[in-house]
Amino acid sequence: MEYLATILILVGINVMLAASFNLIIGKAGLASIAHPIFYALGAYTSGLLAIHTGLNAVAATLAGGAVAALFSLMMSLPSLRVAGDYLMITSIGFQLGLLQVIKNLEFTGSQGGLSNIPTPVSGPERAFVFCVIALAAAAVTLAAIRWIVRGPYGRAINAMRDDELAFQALGRNATRIKIVIFAIGCGIAGIAGGLYAFYFQYVSPEQFEILASGTMLTMVVVGGMGSTWGPVVGALILVALPQAITFLNLPPSFMAPVQGMIFTLLVILFLFLRPQGLVPPEPPAPLAHRPADREGKGAR
Amino acid sequence: MSAVLELRGVCKRFGGIVVADDVALDLDRGQILGLIGPNGAGKTSLFNLISGVVPLDAGEIRIEGRNLAGRKLHERARMGVARTWQNMRLFQTMTVLENMVVAPREYAGESIARLVFAPGAVRRAVAESCDKALAILDRMHLAHLADSPVTDLPFGQQKLVGLARALMNDGPCLLLDEPMAGVEGQAYDTMKEIVRQEAAAGRAVCVVEHNISFIKDLCTSAVFMSFGRILERGSVAELLASRTLAELYFGA
Repeated sequence: MEYLATILILVGINVMLAASFNLIIGKAGLASIAHPIFYALGAYTSGLLAIHTGLNAVAATLAGGAVAALFSLMMSLPSLRVAGDYLMITSIGFQLGLLQVIKNLEFTGSQGGLSNIPTPVSGPERAFVFCVIALAAAAVTLAAIRWIVRGPYGRAINAMRDDELAFQALGRNATRIKIVIFAIGCGIAGIAGGLYAFYFQYVSPEQFEILASGTMLTMVVVGGMGSTWGPVVGALILVALPQAITFLNLPPSFMAPVQGMIFTLLVILFLFLRPQGLVPPEPPAPLAHRPADREGKGAR
Repeated sequence: MSAVLELRGVCKRFGGIVVADDVALDLDRGQILGLIGPNGAGKTSLFNLISGVVPLDAGEIRIEGRNLAGRKLHERARMGVARTWQNMRLFQTMTVLENMVVAPREYAGESIARLVFAPGAVRRAVAESCDKALAILDRMHLAHLADSPVTDLPFGQQKLVGLARALMNDGPCLLLDEPMAGVEGQAYDTMKEIVRQEAAAGRAVCVVEHNISFIKDLCTSAVFMSFGRILERGSVAELLASRTLAELYFGA
């Protein structure tokens, strides 16, 4: 039972990561791949707060989200002047640079990672409680992102992604929209990090490397860029796949490369054969308005 | 009363290429000014300088007396600079109406805070924008296409939508970049009529256009540009009779 609960917790966390990453790259078209570092910031912040200040887990997790959102400004403010490939390069630098800092600081546990994070719940139903929280957080994330994307704000994001110059020339502040999208997306990743830290009680810097960027990108691409339910499908597949591979009984030294190859293959196959992903984006909510033909001219 | 748009000593060069060389220009309410000249004369560049796509090297641009120096693209639009683009730059994944609803000087849906704390006000503002957009489309006989994706429309109608989107900005200054290129038939007449109406309603309009008959029919005055300089200015008839223009245009 605990095995199943752990899988579901990972699904919940990964849905949050994939959905928030999808908001940034799929919906807003901002080519950042630094998402894992904001996940890390959330995990480390909430873990450290719990260890050193005894702050309660909910507050610590929210603080993790806030710190991740705050750090997103450090990336977005200077780098939003650039776009496309340049933004991607900046984001890689930001991710790996910050990760180096984490790996070399004493108080983050350096290379060995952060251990002994206190658990807020104990007892036999611990996994079940976490499972409910993770799935609920994932559901809230999906609802919130759907609300943003389907409404008037989403219309602005679409227009910005279609043609940023024309969008600005209409009086829209594209820079502010990008900063807000980054902060929201990265904040959600930070909260997911907090959940991870409190359940597994151990955070290692290795899990936030470029490989994690690849995994998150795979979830978004396979699930469906810009779609609401795509990240759910993507997260389910990417959590289930490694579990399935364990049943192949391969030697452990073999597992990581095999997994990496499968993920990469998936992305390449999807980009060629089904670039819209498994769940294509749904059309935006129609814009309600009064009937067009007041004077009875026109088609009908 | 001073001009809506004033340009004084505007200069811009890209490396060795001079696109604006000491340009001075006044645009008044109700005026339709034609901007003509051979390709590469700096006509579109002048629009880019006014709307803030590229910064000035020197000089001054004022709208209703307010200096545009240091103002970003979106700030200038909010100060009342509305423009269209040669290649339209419509939002390709959106419908006609959606293209227009995000285009007023103030778009209520642009702020998450307002969406959270005053959803009713945002809804009302968006509904008002819809009404305004439909009224503009009505005048263009396009209202029945409001919910069509812009990419489904024929070229001439897309050009009209480009103008319709710019008209959502109720600012005093309207810059039209080759509104007639590739437009014919009914769309041509509609375009002409709408531009005339907007000027009559008090907008200051500046048109870059190669279609001389459009300029002749519509413009109250015109300037002739070449290599970033304004070479001649006057009524359209005067300009068309000018030898300089004939020489530069036709090499006569």
